Amino acid sequence: MAIETEAGLIAIGAGLAVGLAGIGSGLGEKDAAAAAIGAITEDPSVFGRALIFVVLPETIVIFGLVIAIMAFFVL
Amino acid sequence: MFGRKGKSSNYAYTAARVKAKKAHLLAEDDYSKMLMMTPQEISRYISEAGYTKEMTDLANRESGLNLLEHATYANMANVFGSILLASTGGLYDMVSAYLTKWDNWNLKVVLRGKSYGLDADGIREDLVPAGILGAESLEKLVSLEADDDILAAFGRMTHITFPQDVLAAYKARSNLAEIEDYLDKRYYAHLLEVIRPTDRPSLIFRDYVAKEVDIRNFETILKLKLDGVRGEPVMKYIIPGGKQIDAKLALQLASAETVEEALSEIAQIGFYEDIKDSLDPKAATIREAVMGMRKYEMRQAKKFSHLYPLSVIPVLDYMIHKENEVNNIRAVARGAESGLDRDVVKGLLVI
Repeated sequence: MAIETEAGLIAIGAGLAVGLAGIGSGLGEKDAAAAAIGAITEDPSVFGRALIFVVLPETIVIFGLVIAIMAFFVL
Repeated sequence: MFGRKGKSSNYAYTAARVKAKKAHLLAEDDYSKMLMMTPQEISRYISEAGYTKEMTDLANRESGLNLLEHATYANMANVFGSILLASTGGLYDMVSAYLTKWDNWNLKVVLRGKSYGLDADGIREDLVPAGILGAESLEKLVSLEADDDILAAFGRMTHITFPQDVLAAYKARSNLAEIEDYLDKRYYAHLLEVIRPTDRPSLIFRDYVAKEVDIRNFETILKLKLDGVRGEPVMKYIIPGGKQIDAKLALQLASAETVEEALSEIAQIGFYEDIKDSLDPKAATIREAVMGMRKYEMRQAKKFSHLYPLSVIPVLDYMIHKENEVNNIRAVARGAESGLDRDVVKGLLVI
């Protein structure tokens, strides 16, 4: 019973780590993507550079994912 | 959900677009080069500096200075239209309220054109469709004959109800000034009402508009003084909502005997410090004072342009700079056409 509870709490923790990181990066990406689309509308040649800035906040999710993986396999 | 109104403002998208547009505005060096050019060379130069489409479109119908003037206004109208189309929510409300000055301008052009007996083509030449009213609505105004019909149609299009006393005074004296004053006062009152001072950027915008009201009022006082109008009669032309020039100070300035006296009266208020450098200490003229105030307005805009990137500020800053660029190009071209001295033309530029 105790082991099952522990596994459940780890799963909740891992879910929160990925979920909250996703929400955070989504909020960050919202403005970056809107600004990038605005810049691309004016000058399509900046597409590549704009895309990099749009996906930058996405890296935060990787931290969440690493924590989740660590929660499952290291703890 | 996707409606333009009742949703949040898309500051990031609109600000990115205006910043990209701002990068294409003419720099100080461009004006220095243009000052050395003939009107034809200026036309060619601005064709390559972002006005290509409008210059090409109008080249069949116009030429010379007319082409340049209409192309610059057409370009400004297209640019402002694209900003309005891009913005949503509160940003749309503020931008549209700011741009209604061009609707007022167009109504004044139509009414003045009709009163001077201009034909429809003559009136169309001076229209600047940079406001909320599109070409179709303006065409409708131009096609109407009677002033009453024009005012009624304009009122329906812009939801303005002209007060009976303004209409009665206009009809009694056939003086367009009554309508024009009402439009100016209503424009600023509406603009100040739309800019809700809920955050710091909106407060900066509101502050800028209030200072603009001060400058317009002071300009009116100086111009009327030159025409010999002083004291209480000036007060009916004063626009309420100024930041530093309230009714009491306005009356004080209006009662001053000379332009110099009025200028010394404003020494007590903020913007005098900023405009005094452009005034000749011995014989300050209205032209110098007006140019000084225009430059002061531009400096104010530059001062806040880099603040709050996700707000109405970059959009406002761009609109001010774009309008200024168009005025500068026209001043340089007119100066070159009339053979004015380069230094005189340079003094007329707001850079």
